[in-house]
Amino acid sequence: MEVLLGITGKDFVLTASDATVARGIVVQKRGEDKSRALNKHNLMLFTGEAGDTTQFAEYIQCNTQLYRMRNGMDLSTKAVASYVRKELATSLRSRNPYTVNLLIGGVDPKTGTPSLYWLDYLSSSVKLNYAAHGYASYFCMSTMDRYWKEGLSLDEAVNLLKKCLEELKVRFIGNLPKFVVKVTDVNGIREIEI
Amino acid sequence: MSIMEYNGGAIIAMKGKGCVAIAADRRFGVQALTLGTDFQKVFPATDKIYFGLAGLATDVQTLSEKFRMKVDMYHLREEREITPKTFAHMVSSTLYEKRFGGYFCFPTIAGLDAKNEPYICNMDGIGCITTPNDFVVSGTAENQLYGMCEALWEPDLEPEDLFETISQALMNGVDRDAISGWGGIVHVITPEGVITRTLKGRMD
Amino acid sequence: MSYDRALTVFSPDGHLFQVEYAVEAVRKGTCAVGVRGANIVVLGVEKKTTLKLQDPRTVRKIALLDDHVCMAFAGLNADARVLINKARIECQSHRLTVEDPVSIEYITRYIAGVQQKYTQSGGVRPFGISTLIIGFDSDKVPKLYQTDPSGIYSAWKANAIGRSSKTVREFLEKNYKENMSDDDSIKLAIRSLLEIVQTGSKNIEVSVMGPDSILRNLTPEEVEAVVTVIEAENAAEAAARQSSK
Repeated sequence: MEVLLGITGKDFVLTASDATVARGIVVQKRGEDKSRALNKHNLMLFTGEAGDTTQFAEYIQCNTQLYRMRNGMDLSTKAVASYVRKELATSLRSRNPYTVNLLIGGVDPKTGTPSLYWLDYLSSSVKLNYAAHGYASYFCMSTMDRYWKEGLSLDEAVNLLKKCLEELKVRFIGNLPKFVVKVTDVNGIREIEI
Repeated sequence: MSIMEYNGGAIIAMKGKGCVAIAADRRFGVQALTLGTDFQKVFPATDKIYFGLAGLATDVQTLSEKFRMKVDMYHLREEREITPKTFAHMVSSTLYEKRFGGYFCFPTIAGLDAKNEPYICNMDGIGCITTPNDFVVSGTAENQLYGMCEALWEPDLEPEDLFETISQALMNGVDRDAISGWGGIVHVITPEGVITRTLKGRMD
Repeated sequence: MSYDRALTVFSPDGHLFQVEYAVEAVRKGTCAVGVRGANIVVLGVEKKTTLKLQDPRTVRKIALLDDHVCMAFAGLNADARVLINKARIECQSHRLTVEDPVSIEYITRYIAGVQQKYTQSGGVRPFGISTLIIGFDSDKVPKLYQTDPSGIYSAWKANAIGRSSKTVREFLEKNYKENMSDDDSIKLAIRSLLEIVQTGSKNIEVSVMGPDSILRNLTPEEVEAVVTVIEAENAAEAAARQSSK
């Protein structure tokens, strides 16, 4: 029932994740942030098996930070995505693989060019203009197919995101009252209310 | 559902007169849901060898990276380009290394050898090589592609004719497979160089 | 029988020659000083003159271990690199396991622990470096620690390691004051280095960390400015002494 959404715009990536933690049929928490900042310009959103998700995300977070300490510069979004794919692919064929689905969004700190990567627990990685994980993809991909265009402004992207979330409210059986929405641009990562 | 049909895809390789062609669709999806329409399934190994990987997308990516490394290491160690036949056996043994619990990928290889003789082959997930004289097909649209290739292919096609044949075979083959298609890419390898063209197809 | 050949074995009178040689390597290394002020902590290092065609940016003696911890060393550069790498991994590993950044004392203890291990294991030699570690914990109090090749570590108000460190330490002992202002702390660090660095500002590198835990590297111009002030003060003092005679 978990939902991740990502939309690239002119010079930013807009991401949203549902804030619900559920175990079986019980909601345990509303207000969870299912994302980790890997560095100043790259954000990773995750869903999947409880425990695996945060453990894997924080492992990646620490390693991208270690990279920065060692090399005095940050990994690009593409580099992070390749690194994460490799880690996940190695894990897939280990004795107990991580079951996590990810969206990695970020911008080039100099040019502001956004990029968004979609990775599933099998570690297939694709670069997309807009992406969704979970049941949301069945509801929202068509909406984004219809309304996404090159060079969206933040307002336009927020409107598109609202359309997607509205669709989920209307047609999706799951109850997801709250989403954590974040914008990643050259100034860094910030949470916004929509 | 077989795991080979999780992401979908279609790949063809054909022999021509002094040239070979390899083509693939561009869809990336998870079962019936299409997510991307520019997924790479055919990769260059050298200037004269291309390989396509049909099957589970994660293994397509993992293996393509693995083969790139192996080909580069071969190039550095041997100080010469790998031949299509050697490359095919390298791919085969890489797959057979994981005989029990292997990769869910069926590779297709097309290239010209040192004498510019055409070479095509494909293999199963554990590296059993088949080298026919006409064409090879693999992926979820395999059956449809067999029919198309059988009908269209003829011996000694020149590069442009080979391009037309493989393109028609691909586009019409994938139209009868729900999880292949969304455009295609064709590489025609000739002694003078590689002609790469992308194809627009039905985007539904 | 020689007690300094194969590995670190005690001599009959209780010395570990290999460790002492490592200390000797430190003494030959370029000097580094650390000064703790009221609100900031300063690292200053003597920088070897880079060769004409060498890129000076690639010769660094001050390394960031984590966002809030910084280290300078004296001794063998190559050994330092290995130790810095180990420390950086530990910083991230600590964050991953306990969700908290390392404390300055913790990472010092870790580094000293690694150095100690290399005085007691087979087939290895000790690290030929001493380190000065600075940083801020959540208590916002400036911290300064020192480690040496034997694995000893201790906290300081101000200290020096490397070439002529004795001279510099004595200078610091004479001139250190409690609760120094930011400028005074930087000045003291540079002034102490000038005791042994003849070539002046171009061979001095200074990094400063404040309670915001952000490391700031002083630009060559900033260092030059402080050096000019110090030289003016020294000249004035000398002139005063001259006239009183």
